[in-house]
Amino acid sequence: MYGRKACQLVKELTNSESGQLTTFNNDLFAQVIEECEAHFRDLQALFMKMQEEGTSNQTTKNPDHFGAFMHHLSLVRNKRCIMAYVYNRAEVVQNLGWAVELLLPEEIEEKLSNSEKEYFKNHLATLKSYMTDMDIDLAVDMVPPKDPYIKVRVLENMGNVALSDQEANLAMHAILFLRRTDAEQYISQGKMEELTV
Amino acid sequence: MESGSDKGTGGFSAMDDYETLISTTDADLLKRSWRNEKAAPEILQFESSLVERSRAQIQLMEETVEEFMNSGEDPLTVSLYQMDIDRTVFLLRSYLRTRLQKIEKFMFHIQKTADLWSRLSRQEQKFAKRSIEDMEKHLDQSVLSKLPDWYKSHLKQSGTSEEDDMVTEPKLDAFVICRSRKFVGGLPVDDRQVNNMSFYKKGWGDYIIYSKVKMKKKLDKFCGEENPLDMYAGDIYALRYKSIKPLIESGQLDLV
Repeated sequence: MYGRKACQLVKELTNSESGQLTTFNNDLFAQVIEECEAHFRDLQALFMKMQEEGTSNQTTKNPDHFGAFMHHLSLVRNKRCIMAYVYNRAEVVQNLGWAVELLLPEEIEEKLSNSEKEYFKNHLATLKSYMTDMDIDLAVDMVPPKDPYIKVRVLENMGNVALSDQEANLAMHAILFLRRTDAEQYISQGKMEELTV
Repeated sequence: MESGSDKGTGGFSAMDDYETLISTTDADLLKRSWRNEKAAPEILQFESSLVERSRAQIQLMEETVEEFMNSGEDPLTVSLYQMDIDRTVFLLRSYLRTRLQKIEKFMFHIQKTADLWSRLSRQEQKFAKRSIEDMEKHLDQSVLSKLPDWYKSHLKQSGTSEEDDMVTEPKLDAFVICRSRKFVGGLPVDDRQVNNMSFYKKGWGDYIIYSKVKMKKKLDKFCGEENPLDMYAGDIYALRYKSIKPLIESGQLDLV
């Protein structure tokens, strides 16, 4: 049935949890594109036939005309579906730009198509360039601050690091009391965790 | 851009009651712009002069804190100042971030609507342009280049579409919660004839959640014809964004 495969793609999208990505379905995607091409071939063939027979496009009771119209509609529907698939995934990728620094974690990267990887890089660069222009780092301070200092546990050896107000030895397992703004970048990189209470 | 931000602040400086006079510090203005931006479905005018002032003040405060630290001021005082800075910086960052996220979401719509485009700051326009290029390239590579010519546009479904029918647009008739800053009389809730049923359904739930809501009018009357809504200062209502848009722009209503 026309349009079923494209519909499956969209379903895949809606079934996955929002904000999460599943592996890009290259297979199904290619099949939908193929279907689109087939529609277009049929569409052209019908147009040719109509031209040869000299029947006008305007006659509404021409079966070939309706046939062509069906192919056109199916094609448009398929396009909408795959665009929705790609665009919604791109939105998730956009959001990743806010959450991660420069490099994607491997488990996410392997789910992306090549074009998506490229898009992520480009978009991140765009984001960074805005921050440079404005001279402000927007990737920190994602939640409203309560205290200027927070308690963190270091998860990775980083040696002596100069922070904004002190030099600290960030050894693994150390529990420190740091300025939130200093700690936040390490937390988002997974090198520290915040201790509550 | 300048004239736009003046419009935002000028609207309420005209009403010079005490309440508004004491709430006009830049921090408050920033908080309000941030809230409005967060709650509004579409992008609002960039508050360029406010952002500039806030940044200057943040810098000044940071210098003050540094001075305090060097001169051995009471650590508690320093920490309080620091906390104040942190909060303001958060507001500023979140404000800018919210705007960028809206641009990411509605980039094509903003690009083709001159009015919306002019609401962006220079840097945001640059950001939007680059975002659009990135997205176009990505869509083209993944999908559009593989489709027949007639279907290649990322704005239209096919060559037969007369309008751009594939552009994500903000839902302007979404409900927002708003509080009036002063009396606003005769507010025409213009889409009630068409949508009063959905207002009943959606609006009623909102009323229950916000128990503070004072209902000046019975809902029946509200939904009936020829009954414009009167809002008194401090009233909270759930209304369609579309119908109160000008009042938000002029600063008479705040979104919460």
